[in-house]
Amino acid sequence: MAEVDRRVLYWVMFIALAIPFINPLGLPVPITEMTKAVYDKVESLGPKNIALFSIAGGVSAWPEIAPSMVAVMRHLVKREVKIVVWGFFTDQDITVDMITSNVPELSTKYKYGEDWVYMGYLAGGETAVAALASDVHSVFKADKYGTPTEKLPLIQRVKSAKDVDLVLTVDTGSYITYYIRHWNVGKGTPVAEIGIAMQADQVVFYPANLVGLLIGVRGGAEYEKMIGRLGGGTITMDAINISHLLFIIVIALANIGYVMTRRKK
Amino acid sequence: MPYPTDPLILSGVWASVILTLMVYSYVLYKETPVFRFAEHTYISASLAISVVVAYQTLSSNAFLPISQGDMTYLIPIVLGLLLYTLPFREVRWVSRYPLAFIVGVGTGIAIRGSVHAQMVNQVLAAITLPKAPQPIDWFNFLFSLVAFLTSTSYFIFTREHTGVLKIPTQLGRYMIMLALGSYFGNTILFRMSMLSGRVEEILKVFGIIPWR
Amino acid sequence: MSSILRRREIILFLTGIVGGLMIFEYFFAVKEAAAVSSTIQKWAIIISTFALGLGIITAFRVHLSHVKKRTKGQWFFSAWLMGFFVLLTVIGLWNTKFVVYDWTFKNVYVALSTTLYAITGFYIFSAAYRAFRVRNIEAAILIVSGALILLRNAPIGEAIWKGFPILGEWVLMKGQVGGMRTLTFVAAVGLVAFGIRTLLGMERGYYGGGE
Repeated sequence: MAEVDRRVLYWVMFIALAIPFINPLGLPVPITEMTKAVYDKVESLGPKNIALFSIAGGVSAWPEIAPSMVAVMRHLVKREVKIVVWGFFTDQDITVDMITSNVPELSTKYKYGEDWVYMGYLAGGETAVAALASDVHSVFKADKYGTPTEKLPLIQRVKSAKDVDLVLTVDTGSYITYYIRHWNVGKGTPVAEIGIAMQADQVVFYPANLVGLLIGVRGGAEYEKMIGRLGGGTITMDAINISHLLFIIVIALANIGYVMTRRKK
Repeated sequence: MPYPTDPLILSGVWASVILTLMVYSYVLYKETPVFRFAEHTYISASLAISVVVAYQTLSSNAFLPISQGDMTYLIPIVLGLLLYTLPFREVRWVSRYPLAFIVGVGTGIAIRGSVHAQMVNQVLAAITLPKAPQPIDWFNFLFSLVAFLTSTSYFIFTREHTGVLKIPTQLGRYMIMLALGSYFGNTILFRMSMLSGRVEEILKVFGIIPWR
Repeated sequence: MSSILRRREIILFLTGIVGGLMIFEYFFAVKEAAAVSSTIQKWAIIISTFALGLGIITAFRVHLSHVKKRTKGQWFFSAWLMGFFVLLTVIGLWNTKFVVYDWTFKNVYVALSTTLYAITGFYIFSAAYRAFRVRNIEAAILIVSGALILLRNAPIGEAIWKGFPILGEWVLMKGQVGGMRTLTFVAAVGLVAFGIRTLLGMERGYYGGGE
């Protein structure tokens, strides 16, 4: 059993992932505490509040984070929260395009510059996050499209972290830690994360600093259920079910084989 | 949603799936020129996007203030250009100045941020008693505290892990394994959702599942 | 003059002063320090933006040498890489909404980016089959906690047994907290120690060491 060509294993996984898309299982997705906490926080915001949507994840992680991004953005728009978007990945323009095409209210219901604004890309990692916490206007002189900040009423209201009511950081790396360090601990701004699954282990022990966390595609599926609009996250969960079951079976088989081999010796 | 008919969209989705299969040919079959082509295409596209986005960012946040009369922005622009001496051995020493600048700023900011958030706050969170505790809350508090203390003791390298340190460090190893096992489980969710995204795309484009 | 400017003491001094100012400004409320610190951070962001171009120079040097030497099995791909890069960059700098640029990024870049990232899913599956053996207590704890998280993340866990998501949630929210907190705490201690050494000039790797 141990000598199986790994390409056989790859094909098994490939086929196993395809089956639930063809024959969905449709298992319900229970809501977890961390997702509910993010939902409740967004639900508590309204037209007078400003949320920061920070994109610190690339296009490569879309299958994991896109459902959450779209669901949360839909919720923010439903609550009529003002939204400032900026990010730290060079391909984030494509992500913003994806969000605006999936949340058409950003063009139809919201007025650009007054209700939402996209400031563009920043290099510098933690330095950029720290600088923005103190003085947004010293860093951003214009938005993504070259419009000076003086002509954007929404960004005129955001001078530092203290003017933001909630930070939602879409994260595949360390940016949640930067926002916790400089925006939450430094300035008291609530921070929530839309992250890949591995982020969960790295941030759940910040209970006092983190509002909540959407854990990967599972978090996206839960949030879609909470806002009553099922989407890509829910569809993917069936494939997740089968793949995870396959992992358990494979690890069990491998260890049964190992124990039997050891006993023979 | 119906299957797209617009030629631009249709050509795009088919290109996307063909490229996906080109990449997967490496895994599911073996390395071929087809995979190498896809790999090099990706590298060139990501380099191109870096240049375009960097230029747009500099236009908005550096060149625009200069055009408005703030000449202090010339300093970081000159320092940034000096970075490009790094690949050239004879003048490499010039790039040390902007590097020293970036490293100094990054290090200072990392230190000041991590002391409070990752050291002080973590110790406080570990020793803060649960509010309105049930028995399970006390168990969780004690478990986390013991896990924190024993795992931290594992990282004491100035004494051998024998005698009084033997049991706590052994327990600490188990606690670290518990944490790493959880990390492994979440990593699988991440990798599987990435993979299922591409599988869904392939099935949609080949018409095996409805377009959505 | 250049021999003075090449002295590493100047580089180390600059690093120390800039880093020290960042720390001073955070812990002491001095207006002038805050103003200088804000300017310096802004400059660092702009300099970091230029750093994006460094990778391109290095990549081009490598691939250009393949093309010059006509390296068998590689030179054609290197030529394609450089040619496609130039084409996309010129179009992008002119107009990012132009159909070629827009189409390439929405279809080619997105597909390749997600696919290349997803390839590790196959490897982790094969690793789970070949390498995850319960050889000792530590391995057993790792595999059991991993399995509980798998059954917590996938709703099928609850369908099999209602206890799995409860146990998995406990592992994620309480069980692993102590261990992960330690890793974070210890990493922060290491970061501070390494950072202070850098600011005091004891770490020289970042500028090329002893040149």
